[in-house]
Amino acid sequence: MTAMPVIETKTSTKVSVRNLDFYYGQSHALKKISLPLYTNKVTAFIGPSGCGKSTLLRVLNRMYDLYPRQRAEGEVLLDGENILDPGIDLNLLRSRVGMVFQKPTPFPMSIYDNIAFGIRLYEKLSRSEMDGRVEAALRGAALWDEVRDKLTSSGLGLSGGQQQRLCIARSVAIQPEVILFDEPCSALDPISTAKIEELIDELSERYTIAIVTHNMQQAARVSDFTAFMYLGDLVEFGETNTLFTAPQNKKTQDYITGRFG
Amino acid sequence: MSLYSHRRRVDAVAKALCWTGTLFGLSWLVLILGALIYEGARGLTPAVFTEMTPPPGSSGGLLNAIAGSLVMTAIGVVVGTPLGMLAGTYMAEYGRYSKLSTVVRFINDILLSAPSIVIGLFVYTVVVARVGHFSGVAGAIALAVLVVPVVVRTTEDMLLLVPGPLREAAAALGLPRSHMLLRVAYRAAKSGIITGVLLAVARVSGETAPLLFTSLNNQFWSTDLNAPLSSLPVVIFQFALSPYKDWQQLAWTGALLVTIAVLLLSISARALSSRGNYK
Amino acid sequence: MSEHIVSSYDRDLEALGRRIAEMGGIAEKMLGEAMDALANFDTELAHRVVATDTRLDALQREIEESAILTIARRQPLAVDLRECIAAMRIAADLERVGDLAKSIAKRTVKILAEARVPRAIIGLKTMAEVASLQLKDVLDAYAQRDVERAKTVWANDTELDALEDSVFRDLLTFMMEDPRNISFCTHLLFCSKNIERIGDHTTNVAETIVYLVTGESMPTERPKGGKPATPADEAKEQSL
Repeated sequence: MTAMPVIETKTSTKVSVRNLDFYYGQSHALKKISLPLYTNKVTAFIGPSGCGKSTLLRVLNRMYDLYPRQRAEGEVLLDGENILDPGIDLNLLRSRVGMVFQKPTPFPMSIYDNIAFGIRLYEKLSRSEMDGRVEAALRGAALWDEVRDKLTSSGLGLSGGQQQRLCIARSVAIQPEVILFDEPCSALDPISTAKIEELIDELSERYTIAIVTHNMQQAARVSDFTAFMYLGDLVEFGETNTLFTAPQNKKTQDYITGRFG
Repeated sequence: MSLYSHRRRVDAVAKALCWTGTLFGLSWLVLILGALIYEGARGLTPAVFTEMTPPPGSSGGLLNAIAGSLVMTAIGVVVGTPLGMLAGTYMAEYGRYSKLSTVVRFINDILLSAPSIVIGLFVYTVVVARVGHFSGVAGAIALAVLVVPVVVRTTEDMLLLVPGPLREAAAALGLPRSHMLLRVAYRAAKSGIITGVLLAVARVSGETAPLLFTSLNNQFWSTDLNAPLSSLPVVIFQFALSPYKDWQQLAWTGALLVTIAVLLLSISARALSSRGNYK
Repeated sequence: MSEHIVSSYDRDLEALGRRIAEMGGIAEKMLGEAMDALANFDTELAHRVVATDTRLDALQREIEESAILTIARRQPLAVDLRECIAAMRIAADLERVGDLAKSIAKRTVKILAEARVPRAIIGLKTMAEVASLQLKDVLDAYAQRDVERAKTVWANDTELDALEDSVFRDLLTFMMEDPRNISFCTHLLFCSKNIERIGDHTTNVAETIVYLVTGESMPTERPKGGKPATPADEAKEQSL
């Protein structure tokens, strides 16, 4: 593949993917991927289905470890530490790298507990401290005003968009450093989508964010950097401003303009 | 057009066949239930619940049989459910992709469909023959052996129904697997697993064959689990075959009681499962 | 360029391109005819040129509307987005070219009453020929998405600037020779300025073509052969 253009940037690199190969059994799903996630920036992964963008996301928190016959080779450095190292504490890693999924996944418990649940794993807080943390997380996800009066009711009773924001609040509550979004809006209506996008915008002030999306306009709207992937290759990585107005690679151009053969 | 009318004719014939089949099947069910209620309700007196099984010719009730059934079923479920849940959990969660799970699942399926008389014989050989006498414990063990495969199956199925993303979401928060299981997966699968247990209870509460070889029967009130213990199915079996009219009447009533109990369990299982699994 | 999956998208963009070509043809013709009218004192032709301008204006509005619609409905990205933006920009430039040609045509009517100095028009005709050639080249470059040709047009604008300078000096000479020429020559001075402006719009189109094809903007510094524009010039251009 073409050499990755060097992006000059003033921000530091939070995550650095280097020569990453990924295999599902025999199938080679990611081929020598190298790209950075810059600190407090939003990086979008786009590409047709099966291009490996979700796979790449799931390497960043070792989610693939839940399944057999999936393996990654290469390096993924989080603040300089290789997270592919077999000795790494997966639970600790995942507390640093949060994830929000395509379908909202509230736990079958109250709204309050959905948030408090994760916090209790890592910290022992008094009731009032916990209340404060839950409120802060819900406020952070722009959900507080909608649920403040029904914190004890089930998280499953919320609308899809609210559920998704609850999941974001849940991730934020344990104070991660990186948040991964795997097509977070694909099951939501446009208004809910706009709210999530606004949220991603706000979150990027404090967190490093990676988002996989099928919606190119969404990638264009929310991200600072965009990676276009195709058949397991990283075709182009660059600033979103450039990639969507003047992509360097013909394949990228064909894809984002809807000319894909 | 003729093609269309042909299709309509075929459709009409198929529909008629379906209706006939359904009516045929249902009519038997109605007949059985009708006979049961007709015969059983006549003997449904307070004495049934307060008096012991009588010798032929005198009046009596089914109290010792009801109590024995309840005790053995309860023990069977209490012993069998945790075992089944543990095995089911292993298969769905820890050993989902392992060979052992495949083997266990296969054997469990055989056990699930094994004739209950075989289970009775097995417990007879292993417990009754060794100890030297029939006992309530042996009966409870036989019932537990029947409960286990049902619970294994439903636990596994229900846990497999818990959406993958929910599991991943728990993992993504950095939850250890045990937490994920106890706090998330079991919660999500709760109603399904309870349904499975209720169905297991319904299944064993009507079993006669395994109890014939294990707890046998006891005409008197007994709470000694180390001695033969009475149970409804066995009493029904004995009394129904007897030449005495009052015994036959008690058998009808006992059958009605068992049917009602099973029916209630099934209905509550239905209600629970429709009230919502985690989708 | 391969085709879009949605073929009506291709048709929309093609229609944009066709209308630009039509506008280009009209603007080119207006410039040529306005110059002919001026040189031959042909008021009838001048009136026709003025009348043609409405068609140009209407086309510009159509292009703008359909480009906006395409942006709203299809959210074009990359080359498609540049296509829409370029169409709007080029249409605006061509519309201005038409306005400037119209302005020349209008002066034809005004100078009828003046003392005439046919010699003075010769330089102006050369300028108009160069401007026409540039315009034709840039339209061809647009049709063929030819960056090199567009860059050549862009660079050649210095020639027009230089010509304007010499026309300015010529006309000044005529005016000093005989004050009765002043009125006539002043009108011609305006015409030369108009032609120079047409050249500027042509280079704008060239820049747009480079952006359309490569996604890169030309350097803001344009080669300037002539004198730098004074604030008064700018004000006048605005009011044209």
